[in-house]
Amino acid sequence: MRREPVGAVLVLGGGVSGMRAAVDLAEAGLRVYLVENRPWLGGRVAQLGYMFPTHDCVLCRGTSDHGYGCTRPSISPAFMDHNVHPNIEILTNTDLINLAGYAGDFTVTLRHRPTYVNAQRCINCGLCEGVCPVPLPSPFQVGMSARKAVYKMAPRALPDTYVVDKVPRCETCRRCETVCPTGAINLEEEEIERDLQVSAIILSLGYALSDPTEYEELGFGRFPNVIHSMQYERLASRSGPTEGVVMRPSDGKLPERIAWLQCVGSRDEKHPYCSSICCMYATKEAMLAKERTGNVHCQIFMMDERAFNKEFNAYYQQAQEEFGVEYTRCRISMVLEDPETHDLILRYPDEEGNFVEGRFDMVVLSVGALPPDGSRDLARLLGIELNPYGFCQTDKFAPLETSRPGIYVCGTFSSPKEIAETILDAAGAAGDVMRLLSDQVGERAFGREYPFLAEPGTLPPERDVDGEEPRIGVFVCRCYPSIAGIVDTDAVAEFAAGLPGVVHVETTDYACLEEGQALIKQTIEAQNLNRLVVAACSHRTHESLFQRIAREVGLNPYLVEVANIREHCAWSHMDDPRGATRTAKELVRLSVARAGLAEPVHRQAIEPTRGALVIGGGVSGMTAALNIADAGYDVMLVERQPGLGGNLQHIYYVVEGDNPQRLLRDLVNRVLGHQRIDVLTSSEVVSHEGSVGAFRSTVRTPGGEIPIEHGVTIVATGGQECRDEVYLLGQDERVVTSLDLEDIITHRPQQIENLKEVVFIQCVRPPGGVKYCSRTCCTNTMKNAARIKLLNPNCRVVVLYKDIITYGFREQYYTEARQRGVLFVRYDEEHMPQVRVDDEGELEVVAWEPSLKQEIVMHPGLLALSMAIQPSEGTERLAHILDVPLSSEGFFLESHLKMRPMDFAREGIFLCGMAHYPRFIEECITNAQAAAGRAITILATPKMYIGGVVSVVDQSKCVGCLTCVRTCPFDIPEVRYEDVGVGEIKGAAWIDPALCTGCGTCTGECPAKAIQLTAYRDDQILRLPLGAWGERVLS
Amino acid sequence: MADSFEPKIVAFLCNWCAYTGADLAGTSRIQYPPNVRIIRLMCSGSVDSTYVLKPLLDGADGVLIGGCHPGDCHYQSGNYKARRRVVALKEILKSAGYDEDRVWLRWISASEGQLFAQTVTEMTNAIKEKGPNPMRQKWAV
Ligand code: FES
Repeated sequence: MRREPVGAVLVLGGGVSGMRAAVDLAEAGLRVYLVENRPWLGGRVAQLGYMFPTHDCVLCRGTSDHGYGCTRPSISPAFMDHNVHPNIEILTNTDLINLAGYAGDFTVTLRHRPTYVNAQRCINCGLCEGVCPVPLPSPFQVGMSARKAVYKMAPRALPDTYVVDKVPRCETCRRCETVCPTGAINLEEEEIERDLQVSAIILSLGYALSDPTEYEELGFGRFPNVIHSMQYERLASRSGPTEGVVMRPSDGKLPERIAWLQCVGSRDEKHPYCSSICCMYATKEAMLAKERTGNVHCQIFMMDERAFNKEFNAYYQQAQEEFGVEYTRCRISMVLEDPETHDLILRYPDEEGNFVEGRFDMVVLSVGALPPDGSRDLARLLGIELNPYGFCQTDKFAPLETSRPGIYVCGTFSSPKEIAETILDAAGAAGDVMRLLSDQVGERAFGREYPFLAEPGTLPPERDVDGEEPRIGVFVCRCYPSIAGIVDTDAVAEFAAGLPGVVHVETTDYACLEEGQALIKQTIEAQNLNRLVVAACSHRTHESLFQRIAREVGLNPYLVEVANIREHCAWSHMDDPRGATRTAKELVRLSVARAGLAEPVHRQAIEPTRGALVIGGGVSGMTAALNIADAGYDVMLVERQPGLGGNLQHIYYVVEGDNPQRLLRDLVNRVLGHQRIDVLTSSEVVSHEGSVGAFRSTVRTPGGEIPIEHGVTIVATGGQECRDEVYLLGQDERVVTSLDLEDIITHRPQQIENLKEVVFIQCVRPPGGVKYCSRTCCTNTMKNAARIKLLNPNCRVVVLYKDIITYGFREQYYTEARQRGVLFVRYDEEHMPQVRVDDEGELEVVAWEPSLKQEIVMHPGLLALSMAIQPSEGTERLAHILDVPLSSEGFFLESHLKMRPMDFAREGIFLCGMAHYPRFIEECITNAQAAAGRAITILATPKMYIGGVVSVVDQSKCVGCLTCVRTCPFDIPEVRYEDVGVGEIKGAAWIDPALCTGCGTCTGECPAKAIQLTAYRDDQILRLPLGAWGERVLS
Repeated sequence: MADSFEPKIVAFLCNWCAYTGADLAGTSRIQYPPNVRIIRLMCSGSVDSTYVLKPLLDGADGVLIGGCHPGDCHYQSGNYKARRRVVALKEILKSAGYDEDRVWLRWISASEGQLFAQTVTEMTNAIKEKGPNPMRQKWAV
């Protein structure tokens, strides 16, 4: 008997990729089990202090009130403990131990290992840690500091709870159990096994670090001042063991000379692939070192600098030019130590090529990425294939699917990659799953009416408090011993009772525990309270909880005020109970006053238009369109050319051997045959207005202009090979681009058979153009060079390059090309290759051979130029129409380089493919699915809510001065002629509540005070007793 | 008695960085004097000049504005607007004969609990040295 499809998804691995995938699936209305084998979410990224190339600390980036974006556990609203999406169930300290069934109907068995602490009752007071006598090395700090047997990974963790790492001594000690004030610890807790029905599985297992002790000659483990890059990350992080001060392990001295050795555990015999991230993170680490201590000497020893993503090249330039980070091309084979000083000695060639010795205070080994621990066993258990390197095997044209239907993969488990690509993978895998579960998408979706998340239909109607005098109830949480151990909570309560508007005051033991919540709810009802003040802990962790409680008994959440008397008071003034009590009273006084001035805030519901506009009909556009249509929504696909396919039309083979033309035929047939997709070719978008859920556009078609309404927009306009006249391109027919060469090899192979020599020049860009890596050219050159050698083994093939960028598993094709006899000669800005036609009419290429230190002269029959890939024509115009920005390279610029690579800052518009940056077919597919998945989360929403805490213009006060227009960081205010301002004069400002992000910057700037931020109105701040304290508080 | 003078400092902190940094100071149990009252705003860019003047006239001894580091503002550039405004305000305070050093603008990230505590400590000490804010009396005609 076949059971009904269950529609739940298991996400295995709770790092950034797992969290990202879980949030998107939950938003699309699917149920998610997020399973992590460690006690907390966060994975590797939780250990990083800063990200390249932005250096922002990312604690809030990408988040929004709408609850997606940044998925650092500690901070993301989507993953705040009391605000986790109701569709997500988080299962930490849990392993998958069995799998049965098939796609659409799997049964998984999970085993939960005990943490011995009930997360629901842990209040993070830390008493247990204080009494625990067992010190252990901290894995979060990579062993560089100690933790106790009962511990928390970091001050902010999710779930926000301590756990016990039980050791034999715990059996007899049990002090933590006794001291815990809420009885949260139970050392008898047992393992639990549980079966779940799920329809699909996403693997987001992350990666392991390669082991630097494998390379004995580099001294790791033998010399104290040789550390690996993850240790360096922790040392440089403000939450690290030394609070961000990098010190030499041997003597605590601040290092003056630091060396980074690249490719440790990458690009060698044992690990023949490139780990893709190390060049950039080493650059970041060196820049951070320079930022902190300007005179430190930072030197990076590398083979190639692989800066192959958006803004990376500019970052690399900045490291050299502005920061003075030195790059030396050399793979260090041996590290020596001076046993007296523990300084380290390296031998490397200087600029002239002569070997010199350098002394360093510290050596950092840039370790690579390995398949995650335990992945072999897990692969066997799941019945999925691994590739020869031990990472998950995927298909070039189905990059997010494993070999077993219904099981998907994302992040570094399929290949080493940086955060932005991991996020793309995760959103893409979620998008792929939405297509599989199209009949379930939207089932459990709901809009965000309130600042917290609640199951739809579970809340009672809201009570109307309009016109009522404030009846404020104050609850002072004792949170013993965290608060009441320092602050005299009774005195605070007594003080609160005398404040205006307060009708009820109570102290409670733990406001956040079930008992406390019940008490607050009952009291609100019994006392008919219309405002609530909870003096407890931080807004960050608990505001949404108290807002929800109030709403559950009919109070608008904005009538709730939290006074943070724990983090901002008791915990910060532990040695001054008198002062702490005074502060607590004052904070309560401010909160009571704010509550008295509070008013309900409502958001306006709109129903999104359930259709998507996809601009661009190449591989990205078609993939995105199909994904959305398969999930059950209508798509309008607009393509400027007469036919679909874009650049894919000119790609005949790929280095991996798959057939791109088959992919093309397949995509075009499916798009044209899909009942939910309308295709408009030879057409262009000429206008685009409105906001997320309610866009209106005009498309110019050969048959005239047509208006369309759509809820989301996807930009997939692609890129193009630059064809500017450089190196005789367009003047001499022997000079071709790499696409031309592919065409020759495919259609006129006899031309290759007669050649004696072919020269490739890499990194060719138009004069004066912005420098960036076009990412695909090196691999394309490998594929073409290999074909030439295949057709004509005697042909000499020479590649003139700057850096060979065959990242990830593409490294093997570089190795193969060298094995086939392709010659590689490096050039740099000072020694650019020269191309001319000599007197005999032959093509002449002159290049400088750096190791021989002499010029070499070649007379190739064909010169292939790897031309830069540029944004496609009209990108600037389209950016203007859509009102979205462009990057320094001229590609579309997303909302955040790392955390939101497929979203524009303007909500509801998404980006994919080469319109974002040059990339391979499989990357375009992933990216397109990511954009589609994000789009579906909006299309699946039953109601969208706009407004809330946004800026509102009182037009009767507006003088139309344009200050807000100039001030807004997002260009949202406009002065509309049809609106009437002060003195009945035409032209007043208007702020679209659907677009406003609610920062309040315009309110601070408006000279007429015509703009007010809801819930933060001027009078709601200025009428607070801001300076009046001091009297009566200490009595 | 200069010793018994307890400065009253109002701190307007942005929700994303400075407020969270203050939180981390607490979670990490970093101690600072109990002289600051924190008011949370969405962004330092929304701090109107009147938000700074009102407390000073009402009797506060100092105003601290905490935002994200340049480039880190959750709303991209709110903190730059705050900086511009505070500079102008300080000029005005100075030309009106008041001590502009009672208003501090500081960048504190969400991971800088230590920096928050240190800032409050420094500010409290600095204001203790200055003594009570004279503005209130001058205005209370
Ligand atoms: S959000 Fe922190 S300063 Fe703008």
